[in-house]
Amino acid sequence: MFKRGAVKTPAVLERTHEQEQLSGQLIIQAAGIHKTYETGKVTVQALRGVDLRIRRGEMVAIMGPSGCGKTTLLNVLSGLDDITQGEVIIEGAPLHKMSDKARTRFRAEKMGFVFQAFNLLPVLSAVENVELPLLVAAVNPGVARRRAQEALALVGLADQTAKRPAEMSGGQQQRVTIARALVNIPAIVWADEPTGNLDSETSASVMDLLGRLNNEQGQTFVIVTHDPAVAQRADRIVRMRDGLIESDAPNHVAK
Amino acid sequence: MEKLFGVPIDRLMLSLLVVFAVGVAVMAVVAWRNQVVFKMAVRNIPRRRAQTILIVLGLMLATLLFSASFATGDTLTHSMRVEAVKHFGLVDVIVQGETRDVGNRLPSFDQTYAGRVQEALAGDSQVAGVAPLLQERAPVLAPGTRLSEPWVDILGYAPQSMAGFDRLLDVTGKEMALDALAPGKAYLSAELTEELDVHRGDTVQVFLGPQPTPLEVIGVYVKGASPAGERSLVVSLPYLQTVTGAQGAVNAVIISNRGGTLEGVRHTNAVVSALGPLLEGSGLKAEPVKQKALDRADREGGTFATVFLLFAQFSIAAGILLIFLIFVMLAAERKRELGIARAVGMQRGHVVRMFAFEGATYSLIAAGVGSLLGVVVGWGMVRIMAAAFSQWDFHLTFAFNWRSVVIAYTLGMVLTFAVVLSSSWRVSRLNIVRAIRDIPEPSTSRKSLKGVIFLGLLVAGGALLTVWGVQEEQLGLYLLGASLIIIGLPMLARRFGLRDRIAYTVAGVGLVAWWMAPESWHDAAFPFLPEEMKAGIEMFFLSGIMLVIGGVWTVIYNADLLLNALVFVFGRLRGLPPVLRTAVAYPMQYRFRTGMTLAMVSLVMFTLIVMAFIIQSISGVFADVDRIAGGFDIRANTSYTNPVPDLRVALTGAGGLRPDDYTAIGGITAVPVKVKQMGIEGEPVDLMVSGVDTGYTDAVGYKFAMMAPGYTSPRQVWQALQDEPGTAIVPTWMVPTKTNFNVGDAGPALRLEGFWREDKVLPEELYLEVQDPRTGRTKRLRVIGAVEDMAFYVGSITTSQSTVHGLLERAVPPQSYMLRLTDGVDAETAAKALKAAFLENGLQAQVIATEVRRDTSASLMINNLLMGFMGLGLVVGIAALGVIAARSVVERRQQIGVLRALGFQKGMVQFSFLLESSFVALLGIGIGVGLGFGISPQVINSFKESFEAITYQVPWGVVLFISGVAYAASLLTTFLPARQAASVYPAEALRFTE
Repeated sequence: MFKRGAVKTPAVLERTHEQEQLSGQLIIQAAGIHKTYETGKVTVQALRGVDLRIRRGEMVAIMGPSGCGKTTLLNVLSGLDDITQGEVIIEGAPLHKMSDKARTRFRAEKMGFVFQAFNLLPVLSAVENVELPLLVAAVNPGVARRRAQEALALVGLADQTAKRPAEMSGGQQQRVTIARALVNIPAIVWADEPTGNLDSETSASVMDLLGRLNNEQGQTFVIVTHDPAVAQRADRIVRMRDGLIESDAPNHVAK
Repeated sequence: MEKLFGVPIDRLMLSLLVVFAVGVAVMAVVAWRNQVVFKMAVRNIPRRRAQTILIVLGLMLATLLFSASFATGDTLTHSMRVEAVKHFGLVDVIVQGETRDVGNRLPSFDQTYAGRVQEALAGDSQVAGVAPLLQERAPVLAPGTRLSEPWVDILGYAPQSMAGFDRLLDVTGKEMALDALAPGKAYLSAELTEELDVHRGDTVQVFLGPQPTPLEVIGVYVKGASPAGERSLVVSLPYLQTVTGAQGAVNAVIISNRGGTLEGVRHTNAVVSALGPLLEGSGLKAEPVKQKALDRADREGGTFATVFLLFAQFSIAAGILLIFLIFVMLAAERKRELGIARAVGMQRGHVVRMFAFEGATYSLIAAGVGSLLGVVVGWGMVRIMAAAFSQWDFHLTFAFNWRSVVIAYTLGMVLTFAVVLSSSWRVSRLNIVRAIRDIPEPSTSRKSLKGVIFLGLLVAGGALLTVWGVQEEQLGLYLLGASLIIIGLPMLARRFGLRDRIAYTVAGVGLVAWWMAPESWHDAAFPFLPEEMKAGIEMFFLSGIMLVIGGVWTVIYNADLLLNALVFVFGRLRGLPPVLRTAVAYPMQYRFRTGMTLAMVSLVMFTLIVMAFIIQSISGVFADVDRIAGGFDIRANTSYTNPVPDLRVALTGAGGLRPDDYTAIGGITAVPVKVKQMGIEGEPVDLMVSGVDTGYTDAVGYKFAMMAPGYTSPRQVWQALQDEPGTAIVPTWMVPTKTNFNVGDAGPALRLEGFWREDKVLPEELYLEVQDPRTGRTKRLRVIGAVEDMAFYVGSITTSQSTVHGLLERAVPPQSYMLRLTDGVDAETAAKALKAAFLENGLQAQVIATEVRRDTSASLMINNLLMGFMGLGLVVGIAALGVIAARSVVERRQQIGVLRALGFQKGMVQFSFLLESSFVALLGIGIGVGLGFGISPQVINSFKESFEAITYQVPWGVVLFISGVAYAASLLTTFLPARQAASVYPAEALRFTE
């Protein structure tokens, strides 16, 4: 089990961190991440020592075959899950040392999420779904509603605000999810297979949208995907295999 | 308990067992032919053990309520049977006078009849013994201790005839020889010796007349004297005949059947028939005393069980909703796998069968657990009842009949299984793709022809029912028929485009308004209605169900307005808006579940609140003791063997008494008569007529519910009783009402006819014919008043003493007196002084206020018990909340993950779940309380029709208590699921698929 503060980061890495932090470009720094699942009698090593650094405003695609640890990496980087060993620093803050409460607050303030299954709350309308992160952040309800409507307008759903998820198409639902992820202007947006449930045309339009928002708002996007077409939109492609990063290279054909 | 709802319990049990056996056999055959489906059903059961336990607990509640009701009925039956057997021992039949003398004394007859009875039954293998008996009830005094007992059963046994009867046994179990009963010697019961503090060798005095008869105590028996109460003594028959001056006479011939105390009863009819020719025209009758006492025990026990069942019907209804809800939610949980099963070729019928098999297994277990736990709950209730009954000197011994347990089991099983089958059918109507992809089922086509036809028939049926109700003057049919129209029309309009909210709101508000509208509104709105319509106890259930349906529909289809208001009001509080938003959104999205839960909680709350109103209002009646007592303070009875001829005169001469302490003394002479209403067909009934003297009529303060035309004040009626011979008053239970809430088999001994209590005035010509059964002499009595309900001390027909004397053609001294004390005189002290002064007369003096308080507290205890029993239904509503909360945690796991990803803290998730349950619980409680408050003025008014003294009082304390308990319990039930939801780990939750 992971013990907070018990892990020692390699000195070489620390020096590099310091240098890069000073430059102000690094937003995500992960070093020596291990994640192990105990499932009954079997122990699964999902991550076996991953090191990853992502710069502010970068759009990074994480690819790899099923079971290679992509989603697990996204979960531990975003603080949705604990790590067994290693360290995760987001915007200079050590996520792995935070309590559940602090990490939840940090997530609410700094991060947005886009999921493959959209994961909108079925009982809330589009605008209510989008304003939820703002209400969690104690934004005045009136202001939250206005900002949620703006966010929906930004993703092209200004006229669909009152609809419930079940009344919308997959593409529309994913746009609502993107609006929800962006409404509190997070530093990082995590997207787990954002086009996994969409047809190719809708996928392209969603990726256009993400690309545009990344360009215009300068937010960092970390996208887990199987789809090479999606990955091709990223600045950088990280490939994983068996819980380790196999390759990490800039994408020269991006955008 | 031998009968339930008028059906013999054996027949009921057999019918249910047949239904049960047929059901099980059909299921077994179907299972054999569908082995794969059966295997799937059985394997589903242990998949989630906690859930299985929850389902079994939910399903067992209805059975538990049946079983607990039966257990209380059985206990009462058993206890009354024990009392009956204790009193009569081996005596099954008593040959006695057809009538009774003044003071309810058995008339004596020639002892030779005993010989003739012996001859008539000689050689009858069903008879174990025949014996002459002289029995009296007289005061007994112990001069040594100055202790006395006013009512002692004195038995004169003929020792040579007592074979075949109970043996007198002493404390060591040794038989006491009857031959030892020489003149002046007596055996005393252990209870009597204890009461008088006497022992063997002491002397006691028996007041069989004005002069005491001394008796030496030669032994103490612990059992064996019958027929007699706990305080009794036995002397020899010749000696008792001598001291009472009744040489050669007895007043009973006792007969014991072969077969023991209880088994012998079955020969009773044969024995009574065998004596028919002998007793024909003799003025004697063979009374099947034990059979009658046992029948009464069975009847009363059955009535008790029926009352409990009637009050439990709301809880049972809520239990049925819970069973339905549990199965619908179970199906929701398995939706995906059911979809897959259908996709690979399973028919709808297979799905029904699979659920039916699983449901049947649950039902078999649940009914078993429920029927046994019900016995435990019944035991608890009996413990409380025993405390209440002990105040009336009646001992309750817990008992349950295995037949009742079988009935509870089969009834619960059959009911549960019927609900399971109907919910299985609902489950099978799933769309395969939607089920697999877990997409909500669309609402059915609004304009389906079937639906329109059904609703059209509903409206037409409602109209017919309404007309029928009006014609038959049945309030229930009239209100129910119109309700079907109120429901049907908006639903029909909905099929043609009316919005759901409007349709359900119109139907809901319509139902509530319809059932809450006072009678005067119905009369004004529909002038063609009969003046008075008949209604029974079923109205309580019917109105409750209809009001709750109306209330729930109205609330559930408009709750979003309420919620928006809530969000608007509390939305400003920091941290609350996101929690509030999710907490209220879910119940609104899942209307079916929320509606069912609301219905369960509000049904039970409604009944509890109405019950609280009734108890509060009735309790208020007993607070006015002076009115109940008619202005008197003490009630005194004297022994018929040595009555006080004139208490007023006796007071002046008695030591230790001050006549000035008494401002009024009224004497009452009660005589047994045969009564019938003149002009009405039917046999006369045996009743008592009380003759009251001027001391009584001058002082009594009772008012009248109805008076004959020409009488304008109560005083005028009381005065007329003395001034106009041949006039009488009757208690209100003899007056028919249009709303008769009779439960069980027992009705009043005499119900007058030809008018209604609601008429307010008695008919000009209302006559009773009373007959002295001993002489056959008759007298006509004109009824000039029906005394108010509060006149608890007017038990039967009351006329003047002179009228009674005229009927009997002789003067008879009063046996009881009502006394009013001077202000400032302590009633308890005065009662004690009276008892002490008239020991020889066996005078029993009771302070009326004490008596009323004792009876009130005992009935209050029983009422509260009844309410507690009804409150068991709350468990149903609360369980529903728990089931939904537990299910929600599983169902919303992914959504919880999203919330946590978006920044919801653990506490916020937990709070959101608790808030959600709170919202449903509070709405349910609110609907129940609101409807209860709305209907209670009408309920109390309807009680007022048959009991005018009742006043409307709001039981604020009880309402707050019940609401508080219900709310706290609902929070407790959802606490665990809420905590479970909060501990869901976001990454795991997001990965989760059911």
